[in-house]
Formats: sequence, structure tokens, C-alpha cells
Amino acid sequence: MKRLKQFAYHEPTTLADAIGALAAGGPTARVLAGGTDLIVDMKIDRLPTTAVVNIKRIPGLVGIEDLGDATRIGALTKVTDVEESTLVKERHPALAAAASILASPPVRALATIGGNVGRASPASDLGPALIVSDARARIRGVEGQRDILVEDLYIGPGQTSLACSDIITDLVVPNPSPGFGSAHVKLGKRGSGTDIAMAGASASIIIRNGVIEDCKVALASLGPTPLRATIAEESLRGREAAEEALAEAAVAAAEQATPIGDIRASASYRMTLARVLTLRALRAAVESAEERGAS
Amino acid sequence: MTIHLESTINGRSVGINVDPTLTLLEVLRENLFLIGTKEGCGVGECGTCVVLLDGTPVTSCLVLAGDADGRDVETVEGLAPDGELNEVQQAFVKSGAFQCGFCTPAMVLSATALLRRNSSPNEEEMKQALGGILCRCGAYPKILEAIIAATGEGA
Ligand SMILES: Cc1cc2nc3c(=O)[nH]c(=O)nc-3n(C[C@H](O)[C@H](O)[C@H](O)COP(=O)(O)OP(=O)(O)OC[C@H]3O[C@@H](n4cnc5c(N)ncnc54)[C@H](O)[C@@H]3O)c2cc1C
Ligand code: FES
Ligand code: FES
Repeated sequence: MKRLKQFAYHEPTTLADAIGALAAGGPTARVLAGGTDLIVDMKIDRLPTTAVVNIKRIPGLVGIEDLGDATRIGALTKVTDVEESTLVKERHPALAAAASILASPPVRALATIGGNVGRASPASDLGPALIVSDARARIRGVEGQRDILVEDLYIGPGQTSLACSDIITDLVVPNPSPGFGSAHVKLGKRGSGTDIAMAGASASIIIRNGVIEDCKVALASLGPTPLRATIAEESLRGREAAEEALAEAAVAAAEQATPIGDIRASASYRMTLARVLTLRALRAAVESAEERGAS
Repeated sequence: MTIHLESTINGRSVGINVDPTLTLLEVLRENLFLIGTKEGCGVGECGTCVVLLDGTPVTSCLVLAGDADGRDVETVEGLAPDGELNEVQQAFVKSGAFQCGFCTPAMVLSATALLRRNSSPNEEEMKQALGGILCRCGAYPKILEAIIAATGEGA
């Protein structure tokens, strides 16, 4: 059996106690949510861990709530519940799609949305989807509460801008504007789901009178963090939502990608995937906008 | 350090003290001698360690012992408490849905959980539900055949 090394174990029942335990434990104290990243990282010795702070006994961190102008998703909400939520499907198609192809069902049933953001994997499925949906993370730390754009949390592979005693409590996703559509696609080794992305792409688009008013593209496994393809986005603004424009944007997205080669795929194959998957994500986002009534 | 767990395991209340650095998989196999649950990879990739936690299939190699406290855990041993196989198990036997049998507990548990939720799943839903479990022997066609038989279709 792959054993875990010894660590101090805490099960706080309030956020304040959890923050206290994290602060006392220092930089090798870790939040435990679903454990589908942390337990793996501990077993393969990727992340030195001397204390584990299991936050699942703290009330109020689970559930999907309609705030009227936004959707609040508790950090401990399971990926399965994000996938199955009708509210998420209706309002945030890219996020629902990303959740539905993250890992396999028995992993998805443990994995949480907050843990996905906290892990800051460049291969994250939810990261790109949250970025193109303008999601913010709500953080509680020693100095109280603050909101930060999910995009601004990522600073490097496996690294966030969070302090070690910070806890993500919620993800808040604003309601889309009229004409909005979004999508997420990926390619893994074991089909589209069940496996970490060789590459992935999320796109969101706002179409009014046939013209792309705004657009966001974010890539997975194509850079050190979930990566905005800003040049592709810029190239689409003000253009008609036609195949030619989407194809040009896909080429631009690949030019902004900075993939590495690893056991899943070579860097050059990933460059090809950057273009192909951006194109598929953009097409699907346009389709999603049309289905939602854009004209 | 130990922590105390009060869980329902295969329908029976169990109270035990365990090391909090153990996984649920280790507690089941080593403290409770329920060795039907298998460890393949230990890191979430193969699915052979699947158990039902409050009825939902999860990879028990990624669950810390503390998270089993107060929960309902079902392992393959719980599917046939008196030696009487459930419909899915019977269908597996009838179809010969295994070769070495290493993935069988996880396959049978996941299929049982699916059929409890949805008594007539289509093939795509079956494939999705079992998608996280690798069968090294490649017995997938027979496994699918068995689950279809267990729904009463094609029998
Ligand atoms: C076999 C397998 C396949 C996978 N496939 C995919 C995939 O296809 N796509 C994908 O995106 N991911 C995949 N993953 C990764 C993982 O399942 C997800 O990233 C998951 O969402 C992590 O959530 P968790 O609750 O399990 O996090 P945990 O493991 O509990 O935590 C992850 C990290 O975030 C920190 N953290 C957790 N919660 C918080 C919080 N609320 N505030 C602050 N920090 C926090 C932890 O300290 C830890 O460092 C896969 C994992 C496995 C094992
Ligand atoms: S042993 Fe748990 S998934 Fe492989
Ligand atoms: S029967 Fe051997 S692993 Fe499936």
C-alpha cells in the first residue's frame, strides 16, 4: 500500500478555528477538502505536509445558491453536484461542461470546486471555465474576508496568491449578459472524461445582432497556469461570429500557448491541440449563445 | 494519536479507534479485514478501491479515515450478507464478466449503485458510471453484458 507519512490531523468546526490551525501549522499545513489532489500529492511526496486541516465539519461551505445577480457555489460543493445543478447548466454552461468531464465519477463524487481552485493545476478543467465566466473566489483569512477574481489567484503551477492560512469559502459567478454562451472542451488519454487534460479550452462569447461583442478564451495544460488567450479574444471583438473569424482566433490562441512536453503529450502536439480545442470551444460557445437566444 | 470512528459498515454499526493518517481503504482492509476492496494504484486512477459512501461510489484510497466517521460505508462483502448474491453479482457470474477478478468488487458496487438510482440505464449511462474503473484483463464487453442482463433487458 502507498502509505501516508505521519501528520497532525485537525477537524475544526468553525472557519476561525481552521484559520487558527493553519496559521499555527505554518507553510506545510494544508487544507483538506475532497482530498483527490492533496492525498495524491502527499502519497507521491510532491507536497511536504506536516498538518492536515479537514474543513468538512465546518457548516455553510456546501451548496449552490441563486443570489439573484450571481450564483454562489460553496467551496466544498462536490464536482458531481456542480455537474448536475440545473442552475449551473442554465447560467454557466462552460462550468457545467467542465464539471461533467473532470476525472471519473468516483473521483468527482469526492472532488470539490474549492479544491480544484486551491490546487491551481495548469491542467484544471474548472479553472478555465471559471475564468471565462468572470468568477470570483471569496476568501477568509486572518485579516477577514475578501473577493478576488479566480484568474488573479493563479500565479504558477500549483501556486496561488493565497496565504497559507487563507480558505476559499465560495465561488461567485455573475449572471451572464444577454447574448451570452459558453463551453468547455478537453482531450485526455482516456476519452474526454475520466482523465487529466492533455489540453483543454473554455470559451465564452456575447453575440448581439450577429456581432461578437465580447469573448473570453482560457486554456488548460497549455501554460504554467490556466491561461487567458487574450490575443484570440481581441481578434474576435466586433467581428461576425463566423467560422473564418473563429479559425483565425484559434490560430492566435495557439501562438499564445506555452505548453511543456510531459508523459501525457509532447509540447508540439499540445500546440496543435491548442488550436483545435480553441476552435471547438469557440464553435460550441457560439452554439450555446444561439441556443440561449442570441441573435 | 488516534481518532474514533462511529460508522455503519455493511449495515452494522462499527466503533473503532484508528490512526488518522490511514485511508478508508487501509481501515477496511487492515483494521476490519474486509479485503474484498482492492488497492491498485493508490492514487485515484484505477478505481479498484471503489466503495459506496452514503450510497455513492468513491475511490477509498483517497478518503482519509476521519471522513468515514458518521457515514454509511458499503463494500462488496455487504452486497451478499448471507451469501446470497445480488442481481448484479448473479449476472456477473452468469455472463462470466471477469477474468482475474481484481476489478470485480468495484465494478459490481458501481453497477449496483447505478441500478439503485436508475433501474433502466442506457448503455451510455452504464459506460459512464463504470468509466473510472480499469479492468486490466479487458473484460469490459462481458461486464457491460452482465449489467444489461441485471436490468432485466436482453435476459
Ligand atoms: C484520477 C484523478 C483524475 C483527475 N482528473 C482531473 C481532471 O480531469 N480535471 C481536473 O481539473 N482535475 C482532475 N483531478 C484533480 C482533482 O480531482 C481536482 O482538482 C479536484 O477538484 C480537487 O478538489 P479536492 O476537493 O479533492 O481538493 P483537495 O485535494 O482537498 O485539495 C487540493 C488543494 O487545494 C487546497 N484546498 C482545498 N480546498 C481549499 C479551500 N477551500 N481553500 C483553500 N485551499 C483549499 C488543498 O490544501 C490542496 O492543496 C483528478 C484527480 C485524480 C486523482
Ligand atoms: S487504488 Fe484507489 S483508484 Fe486505484
Ligand atoms: S477481470 Fe481482471 S482486472 Fe478486470
